[in-house]
Amino acid sequence: MNWDLVIFYYLAIAMIFSSVFAIFSRHPVYTVLLVLVMIVHQAFLLLTLGAEFLTAVQIIVYAGAILVLFLFVVYLINLRKETKKNIFIRKVSLITIVFLLFGALLVKNLLILISLKPSFKAYLPFNVEEKSNVWWIANYLFKNYLLQFEIIGVILLVAILGAVFLIRKVKTAE
Amino acid sequence: MPTLEQYVILSIILLLIGLFGFISRRNLIVILISIEIMLNGLIILFAALSHFTKDISGYIIVFFIIAMAAAEAAIGLSLVVLIYKRLKTVYSDEITNFKG
Repeated sequence: MNWDLVIFYYLAIAMIFSSVFAIFSRHPVYTVLLVLVMIVHQAFLLLTLGAEFLTAVQIIVYAGAILVLFLFVVYLINLRKETKKNIFIRKVSLITIVFLLFGALLVKNLLILISLKPSFKAYLPFNVEEKSNVWWIANYLFKNYLLQFEIIGVILLVAILGAVFLIRKVKTAE
Repeated sequence: MPTLEQYVILSIILLLIGLFGFISRRNLIVILISIEIMLNGLIILFAALSHFTKDISGYIIVFFIIAMAAAEAAIGLSLVVLIYKRLKTVYSDEITNFKG
């Protein structure tokens, strides 16, 4: 019994089904909760890839911050169950054309990626010298990618300021 | 041990599910959640590439993707709340202000 493959297939099937049910769900709260299930499964999938730090970040940031933000907004604007017959927009031919076009582009490019069999060697192999994954990520993040790290901090600050600026109460001049 | 192809195929499936939700749903919040599903497919792709090529850069990119997803969710949700305050609807086919 190959337990790695069993765990991988369980996580993959759970992620695919929860995201499909999230897209086809009629109630927005069910959508958010099913995506939460998908994200927790994905965190364990990252654990099978040997990325412990990213597992923690995924659970803390995605499940703890982003989806709770979505849930707050769903409650804030008091969405009811969709009462209309269809939850999709009605232009079926347009949806089909756009989906086939972009889907064919995505599948083609990623299949090219598989066929290339990426085997280029890295700067340094990691997890080989008794150093943990967190050590390598910290080393690269604060040496090679320091500028990008600062830029992402500025982007988060701008996002916070933009959200506050957009939602502020506008005083109408009377 | 699963191979790189299996991880890439899983990420393709998640990207297609997110793409379908993004172009076909009416609810603006579900459209934003579809973008999150597509970003999760990208996270799997980069983490798998990083794992199988023994290069740490993919993990760094995953870190940046998660931070960008947080910023994108904040801005997108504030725009949804703004649209709801102005127009009293969150359904994309009922926003017809610019229709001639």
